[in-house]
Amino acid sequence: MSWLFGSKPKTEEQSQSDLKQSLGFDPAQVADVSQILQTPGVLDSSRLHPLAGLDKGIEYLDLEDEQLTTVEGAQGIIPSRSWTDDLCYGTGAVYLLGLGLGGAYGMQEGIKNIPPNSPGKLQLNTVLNHMTKRGPYLGNSAGVLALTYNLIDSSLDALRGKHDDYNTVAAGALAGALFRSSAGIKPMAYSTALMAGAASAWCGIKRLLQ
Amino acid sequence: MSADHTRDPCPIVILNDFGGAFAMGVIGGCVWHGIKGFRNSPYGERGYGAISAIKARAPVVGGNFGVWGGLFSTFDCSVKAVRKREDAWNAVIAGFFTGGALAIRGGWRHTRNSAITCACLLGVFEGVGMMMSRVMAQPQIAPMYPEESPKMAA
Repeated sequence: MSWLFGSKPKTEEQSQSDLKQSLGFDPAQVADVSQILQTPGVLDSSRLHPLAGLDKGIEYLDLEDEQLTTVEGAQGIIPSRSWTDDLCYGTGAVYLLGLGLGGAYGMQEGIKNIPPNSPGKLQLNTVLNHMTKRGPYLGNSAGVLALTYNLIDSSLDALRGKHDDYNTVAAGALAGALFRSSAGIKPMAYSTALMAGAASAWCGIKRLLQ
Repeated sequence: MSADHTRDPCPIVILNDFGGAFAMGVIGGCVWHGIKGFRNSPYGERGYGAISAIKARAPVVGGNFGVWGGLFSTFDCSVKAVRKREDAWNAVIAGFFTGGALAIRGGWRHTRNSAITCACLLGVFEGVGMMMSRVMAQPQIAPMYPEESPKMAA
């Protein structure tokens, strides 16, 4: 499950003896190629085989685009390669959450509003209409909020060079302010406070999960 | 080493695709409806028109994109799990189910037509993608043949 919950990035320092074990020679003492070739056993075919040395574990090539994020403190619940991963996962999760909550609310609303003595098809249609009215509206709003939040959060990370709780709360407040910025001062203040609160709650949940 | 490491493993990649498609839709919708709202507003209210059009429409475009992408990813993962192989047909089958699922409230005919259209579209995408990867992988360098000396007509 390490792909789901991530893990602390491992910093494996290869000691000199390890390096000598896997290479067959000590890189610190090599002056030229002939010295390597004269080392006993270096041209042994069982060591030159591509699959040789698997018992010592595989040495992974850490490719540039597959590295996990290196921003300090940003190793989160899901391993992320860059800010685009954060953006996609955050937005997707919040959007689905909003869609599900709105759909559930619409469902109970629809079940309450079923016209009496109606055939089954009409009942189903009533419930579905209410669900599709509530679900996407809530999901879209939540998704846009999460998108803005993640964009601001990643920008703050990049600006400050690290990721901490202040970043999260500030990004939440800014996203909330931007979301209701055209509605007036009072709604803007409300949504700012709400989003800052949600962001700090998220900080706490992340602590608990990790 | 043949696995594609730029995408995450299957159940979790659905979330990624939901978010990615939603973000794409919202940003594209901002541009599209911003320009549309700007152009369709009277002089003096163009900025306001652009903003209100974005506010009203961009989240909806994002939601439509997101639902499509997420459903497609869900079906893609399911098809992969059932067929236990990864090839171009996965996308076509997933596109068939996605198109059908999104149109299922419009009746049987609508569902069928939408599913077939979506599957064809995905088939075209996959075909173009395969052609592109083939062209990119093997740059066609024409071998230089020595020209035959023209025979002298008797």
